[in-house]
Amino acid sequence: MALVVAGLSHKNAPVELREQLALEEDKLRELLREVAAGGAAREAVVVSTCNRVEVYAVADVPDEARAAVFRQLCRHRGVDQAAVEAVLYTHVEGDAVRHAFRVTASLDSMMIGEPQILGQVKDAFALAQACETVGPTLHTLFTQAFAVAKKVRTETEIARHAVSVSFAAVELAKKIFGGLAGKAILLVGAGKMSELAAKHLVEQGAFPIYVANRTWARAQELARALAGTPVPFEELDAALAGTDIVITSTAATEPVVTLPRVQQAMQGRRSRPLFFIDIAVPRNVEASVDTLDDVYCYDIDDLHQVVDANIRERLREAQRAEALVDREVAKYLARLGDVEVIPTIVSLRERLEEIRAGEVKKTLARLQGASPETREALEALSAAIVNKILHAPITKLRESSRVGSSRSWLDLVHELFALGRK
Amino acid sequence: MHAILQNLSILAYVAATGLFFAYLVQRKELIHRLASVITGAGWVAQTVALVALGHELGRPPLGSLGEAVSVAVWGIVLLEMWVERRARVKVLGAFVLPVVLVFSLKAAATRQQLPEIAPALSGAWLWVHIGLALVGIAAFALNFAGALMYLLQERQLKAKRPGKLYYRLPDLETLDRLSYRTLVLGFPFLTTGLVLGVLWAGAAWGSVFAFDPLALLSFVAWVIYAGTLAGRVAGWHGRRAAYFAMFGFAALVLTLGAGLFLPGKHG
Repeated sequence: MALVVAGLSHKNAPVELREQLALEEDKLRELLREVAAGGAAREAVVVSTCNRVEVYAVADVPDEARAAVFRQLCRHRGVDQAAVEAVLYTHVEGDAVRHAFRVTASLDSMMIGEPQILGQVKDAFALAQACETVGPTLHTLFTQAFAVAKKVRTETEIARHAVSVSFAAVELAKKIFGGLAGKAILLVGAGKMSELAAKHLVEQGAFPIYVANRTWARAQELARALAGTPVPFEELDAALAGTDIVITSTAATEPVVTLPRVQQAMQGRRSRPLFFIDIAVPRNVEASVDTLDDVYCYDIDDLHQVVDANIRERLREAQRAEALVDREVAKYLARLGDVEVIPTIVSLRERLEEIRAGEVKKTLARLQGASPETREALEALSAAIVNKILHAPITKLRESSRVGSSRSWLDLVHELFALGRK
Repeated sequence: MHAILQNLSILAYVAATGLFFAYLVQRKELIHRLASVITGAGWVAQTVALVALGHELGRPPLGSLGEAVSVAVWGIVLLEMWVERRARVKVLGAFVLPVVLVFSLKAAATRQQLPEIAPALSGAWLWVHIGLALVGIAAFALNFAGALMYLLQERQLKAKRPGKLYYRLPDLETLDRLSYRTLVLGFPFLTTGLVLGVLWAGAAWGSVFAFDPLALLSFVAWVIYAGTLAGRVAGWHGRRAAYFAMFGFAALVLTLGAGLFLPGKHG
């Protein structure tokens, strides 16, 4: 019996193939039932997202299980099985454990650290449980995979830094202002993207919101959508002086926010910082504004640069996460191995104890006049001999379980000591 | 006994400095915990050493600049541990411990010469003068660290190319608040300490400054801090305040350096 995972993902299969194979829930249920009924796999969980389709199974013959599952899958979706087989990856035992941990911890995702995959694997596991195709092996595996994913998330920063421009802007604002509660936002221009950035800021507690637009009706409309206040475009200067974060996105060809304007706005602000998020192209904020103290001005290229740096930071953290997963896999296999050999160790001990106790009893029956000291010495001597003999085989069994080759050793021990059924 | 403990505490501060730097780069919680524990252990060792020294001398261990700097270190470490928890700035140690280290080594280098206390130097007012000034210095060491971190983070944000420090350092608001609060804490202590010093010097030597380089430099530092505080009240903030915090601390370090190297009455 072996743990096996087989599947395809964004790493090796084109999107055309992935979208053909993705299954909705009721089809997935059907597939799981068929696999269970077919008998090729004792346990099975199928994870199906837009980036991957894979099956985790416990089977006597891994290749058979894999072929059976994908045959059914291809039949369901009317896909040529040969095309799928060509891109399938297969991992067994230790490698399968590592794969499960990496996928669940979002280390195998297209965007490392993305949060959806954990939920998707949890759903897949719940569905398989509902279909009763989860046995003890997959139950332990996935429970541990969820724990490892959580650990990776809290102990590394793979999911920390924003990978979208609007969230990167929010993070920058936090690095400047600390908390965003009570920070005033001014939207100049009413694009979709500035609306999105404003929404993110509002979620973090930013308030109040002012909207200035050349078209008054549009300013009113957007202000209503964001629970803000429309401001006439002519009163931009007054609005600038009173806000902390300015998001500009007008279609103007000349800068709307000029250096003198900002200089004037900065007077009387008592050096309260002013943060410009300029997502307009061409830019709405004059570049020289950035030279002013306490003024931070990010245009769209700057924001992209921050996103790139964030992604690099995530990748660096991913290396730490990989090391953590490696350790967790080793721990998991060690525990699993111990679980596997412990019954044998117990019966081996019982068998030898039985022999020892029997022989001691026989000997003492012949030594009628033996003093209590002699009896005790005999017991101690025989126990010591048994322990000495057992030491090496037990150590060997534990070791073999850690390197994953316990099967042949277990068989050997059972054979040699006539331990009977495993 | 106190010498051994004093050395042990310096050793602990050396180790803690390395660990705090490692934490800045690595961001592993275990490293931070270890650094904190070792800092705490060093501080406890130093506390015992100072008490033992005071007991042996029969007076507070503030009779020479070497001793005083050592007590200043003790205060800085205590304040660092407290502020780090209060302000939740876990990288603070990486910026304060190096200062601690330089001061400790300075103090250790002058420790050998056993201080001869001039007869003029006595009385409770003297100890109060030194003690208050030292509390001020401890607060300003933290003020310096806060300002330094502010300037580094501000540069990251202005450069728009986030480096390691951008991710590790806290936000500007937190850092600015940290340096403001430590300024507000340190200033009254430094002021009172200096005023007492002036009054006491007037009574003991009949002259207020008597060309003592330490007294002059400490006055310079006081003026810088007074200016920063006035500026803060008038609404300064951020970079300008941070630069002044750096100048002020530089003057304070020069003050102590002058006391250790230049001839003067502070000895």
